[in-house]
Amino acid sequence: MRALLTFLPLYRRRLGALLLALLLSLVTIVSGVGLLGTSGWFITASALTTAGLAFNLFVPSAGVRAFSFVRILARYGERLIGHDATLRLLSDLRGWLFAALFPRLPLPDRSLRHGDLVSRLTADVDALDTAFLVAVGPLVSAVVVGAGMTAVMVWLLPGAALPYGLAMAAAALVVPTLMVVLGRNAGRRSVEANAELRAQVLDGVAGHADLTLLGVLGTAVRRFAGAGLVASGERLRLGGLATAGGFAVQVLAALALVGTLLAGLDAVAAGRLEGPVMAGLLLAVLASFEVTSTIVRSVSKATSAMAAAERLQALAALPPAVAEPTQPQVITPDASIGFDRVTFGYGSLPPVLDDFSLAIGAGERVAISGPSGAGKSTILRLLLRLAEPRQGQVTLGGTKVDQFATADLHAHMALLSQDSPVFIDTVRNNLLIGRDDASDEELWAALGKAQLEEHVASLPRGLDTLIGEAGRTLSAGQARRLCLARALVSAAPVLLLDEPTDALDRETELAFFETLAEATKGRTVVLVTHASLPEGTVDKIYTLRGGRLR
Amino acid sequence: MTARGQTSRKMLNRLQRHGGAALWLAMILPLIGGGLLVWQAWTLAHVLGETIENHAAPQALMPSVLLILGLLIVRAGLGAIGEQAGLVGAEAIKQQLRQVLFAQRLARSPRDADAPASGLSASAIVDQVEALDGYFARYLPASIQAALLPLVFGAIILPLDWVAGVLFLVTAPLIPIFMALVGWGAQLATDQQAQALSHLSGRFADRLRGILTLKLFGRAEAETAGIVQASEALRVRTLRVLRIAFLSSAVLEFFAALGVAGVALYVGLTFIDYLQLRTTPLTLSTGMFLLLMAPEVYNPLRLLAAHYHDRATAKAALLEIETQLGDFPEAASPLADIEPRAGTPIGVELVGLTLRTPDRMRAVLQDLSLSVKPGQHVALLGPSGSGKSTFLERLAQLREAEGSVQLDDRAISDWPEAELRGRSFLLPQKPRLIHGSIADNIALARPGASRRDIQRAAEQALVAPFAAALPDGLDTIIGEDGLGLSGGQAQRVAVARLFLREAGLILLDEPTAHLDQALEAEVMGNILAFAQGRTLIVATHSLAVAASMDKAWRIAGGGLLDMPVRRKRGAA
Repeated sequence: MRALLTFLPLYRRRLGALLLALLLSLVTIVSGVGLLGTSGWFITASALTTAGLAFNLFVPSAGVRAFSFVRILARYGERLIGHDATLRLLSDLRGWLFAALFPRLPLPDRSLRHGDLVSRLTADVDALDTAFLVAVGPLVSAVVVGAGMTAVMVWLLPGAALPYGLAMAAAALVVPTLMVVLGRNAGRRSVEANAELRAQVLDGVAGHADLTLLGVLGTAVRRFAGAGLVASGERLRLGGLATAGGFAVQVLAALALVGTLLAGLDAVAAGRLEGPVMAGLLLAVLASFEVTSTIVRSVSKATSAMAAAERLQALAALPPAVAEPTQPQVITPDASIGFDRVTFGYGSLPPVLDDFSLAIGAGERVAISGPSGAGKSTILRLLLRLAEPRQGQVTLGGTKVDQFATADLHAHMALLSQDSPVFIDTVRNNLLIGRDDASDEELWAALGKAQLEEHVASLPRGLDTLIGEAGRTLSAGQARRLCLARALVSAAPVLLLDEPTDALDRETELAFFETLAEATKGRTVVLVTHASLPEGTVDKIYTLRGGRLR
Repeated sequence: MTARGQTSRKMLNRLQRHGGAALWLAMILPLIGGGLLVWQAWTLAHVLGETIENHAAPQALMPSVLLILGLLIVRAGLGAIGEQAGLVGAEAIKQQLRQVLFAQRLARSPRDADAPASGLSASAIVDQVEALDGYFARYLPASIQAALLPLVFGAIILPLDWVAGVLFLVTAPLIPIFMALVGWGAQLATDQQAQALSHLSGRFADRLRGILTLKLFGRAEAETAGIVQASEALRVRTLRVLRIAFLSSAVLEFFAALGVAGVALYVGLTFIDYLQLRTTPLTLSTGMFLLLMAPEVYNPLRLLAAHYHDRATAKAALLEIETQLGDFPEAASPLADIEPRAGTPIGVELVGLTLRTPDRMRAVLQDLSLSVKPGQHVALLGPSGSGKSTFLERLAQLREAEGSVQLDDRAISDWPEAELRGRSFLLPQKPRLIHGSIADNIALARPGASRRDIQRAAEQALVAPFAAALPDGLDTIIGEDGLGLSGGQAQRVAVARLFLREAGLILLDEPTAHLDQALEAEVMGNILAFAQGRTLIVATHSLAVAASMDKAWRIAGGGLLDMPVRRKRGAA
């Protein structure tokens, strides 16, 4: 709940529209109550009248018509305004998430490549986005309508005020509270069971070859079935809680109705209440149950919104990944790169780099080879300050990298990482990420250097062709070369290339290496690869093994 | 409706069968509840009529009041049971479908290049299947209620009062038609809208996934502004469509209000003799009953409208499952474990083998011929990318290739799967550790292996020394893909599996990767001792490993070169 409150400033910007939507939804419900109440009063009064055609028809029929049309218009307005506010909130929340994430990258332990985290963040943003409309709004409506109807009872039928008021209060306040409290553990267990199910699929598919070779596909399927049953059981328990909550709300509504009925019968028999008013009140009570029908759904939405808020807050509360220097130094374009007796390891694992030293002069092209997992990519991460060494120092132009602003550091070095993505966007926009003021000629030149010019020129809309996951117009090798072109577009004097020829066949790979010298002319290049390099690709080749260069 | 829409509807119908009795209960109980509702409304109208029109004493009406309370509670109970039954049915369907999809995914070849990656598979098998929930648990019961209850209510009311009956019978079925008419104009726009929307959430997820790259290129501010801008642009377009789309809910509201208002005016005007459409006089009880039923006639439709999107969600999920995993059968393909079996060492004979890269672009090994005698230990050396792994995977029948492969003078394709798997062992280049304890991971090689055997295998692969330092020893839980272990430790856990097998043919791909020289020597020593009397082929970078074999070849220029090995051992 507290986490949800920290998002108040975001909600506050849309408060006017949200309150208007809430107001309109109240008007909708109240007109429904009014419509049924007036109708009940009207037909009873007309049945009792002896005046025949002289009965005053105007007031009730006008009331019935007015309530009908107000209800239709209010419902329409509520939906439109509510959705507008929700969509605005969505924009706000997405902006907020991006602004919160950027300074905290890279996130500890988990990589954002992990599909799970990305889908969780998107789902969390959606859950928060609709929190007001489907969670908070209906609960507020239930309280307001319940209180209003109770006040009407106090005025017209005091005997019913207590049973009706108590039952509605229990339905709108006690049941939701109980559901939140009881549902917390069940919800957590359900999430865990689902994560286990996902892990089973990941293990089964990523370990498919191992399972086949060991002849244990049957075991894998059996385990998956077991995990599925556990997840199903947890969901049913959670669903059972919601069902029980719904049942409780309906029984309370039943008590409210019967309480009103009994009080009304007494009052009419004693002559304290007129028959038509009693009929009108009873039908109004029936109509007021429209607010209780959505309580259970609201509670489950509210619970997930709270959980989402907690997770997003935890993310936003992470300290920035690296501390920025108070007085950042200026990086000269011709700064040399130095690693001086650097030791680095992930978490508590043994070091991948151990007493590692390397010097690269400006304009020099070096390659670092070695078996996978030897720590080649780590060297590039340390340079970009995506990780900090345990011991030793990484320097640029003789100054430790932590003396530079990270933005300057990133502008100085362009990285083609192993998991560089192609974004769902046009070819042009994908390239402009490298440098947003690059001209078309420069883009084509970069594409040419990355050996992708021909392919892009053959695309129906050239640079404006939509690519990426949805477009699927690029093969894995082409995607890789597009990312290379993006790095080439940037003005960075240093290029860091991590396995640039991964996913290329050998011929293309050779062609790429042969043009590398030309393509990177005038820049410092640090190339990490396990491919064998043709003569003249780079000035020096180092081999990394056992955490050191050999 | 499009062809794809029809197939997904057919598929939903097919899946529905697995919901069993629970799903039927979920569909039938609300109908019974609907029947009781008529009784309840009738009793309530009777109580009101008797009190107000006939001045009955409250005590005389007590049984009716109690009946109302009873009916309300029974209806709530029926609703709750129906709801829970819907969940049970939906869970049964999801569990069945998950099993089918998972088994089908595993029934494909592990080296099928077209098969979706683990993340996409998990999303299809777990998330998309979950998205079917609402359709079975909520939409289906709601659609049956919407189809039947208004008509049943109308049919009950018709003999009591033909005007109100006709009003209900005509307006209730009209609502879906009008909603469709209103929706029709918006449909095209909505479809485009849905596309744009999924495009934008796709863009959001996409940018999120590549956010580190964006940061490194200094795009933090530009992209934050960009995502807000794109969201805003979409909002403006969405609202244009919603303005029309929401008309359909206004239509529903209009008819519901019209029904109530119409009945109220009709009944009232009949009472004051303004309207005389009935042959018999109307009692207050009957008039009240008509009014009480008026909103209920439209309620099932409102419920259906509330759950309407569940159907679209389910269809989209099925489509996504099909896109990722292809057509799926009705029942899970049976996958059984294969027992390891003991046997004699297996001889290997290759003639004219040509291996290509997975994309079939390029031959890595050409026209290769070699023979390994039963019980012989050989090494295969070569730089990465030279085809060592592909070669071993061919011998384990994970890949097809040109040329003949004979094991024990029998073509490999003639070996029954159970015999080949039971008698061979391949340690792949990147062995996968599953989420579970270290012992679980080792025992995968022989489900049901005794604790002592697991312990011994752990000792032989040098897992035991580092496991002893862990809090739960061999029972320490390791994460997905060996999270929490170093590369070398994970490798040794995978190697330990070997010692639980009775394989006559052992294929090891870089068994000592990530190990330092001392560990390498010790692990290799244990492997060689275990492999006495078994055929062993090891792909390796390490000259030290190669030197401990009977024979070694080096892959060069797409062919094999004999390598002298320093230390000959007197094997087979």
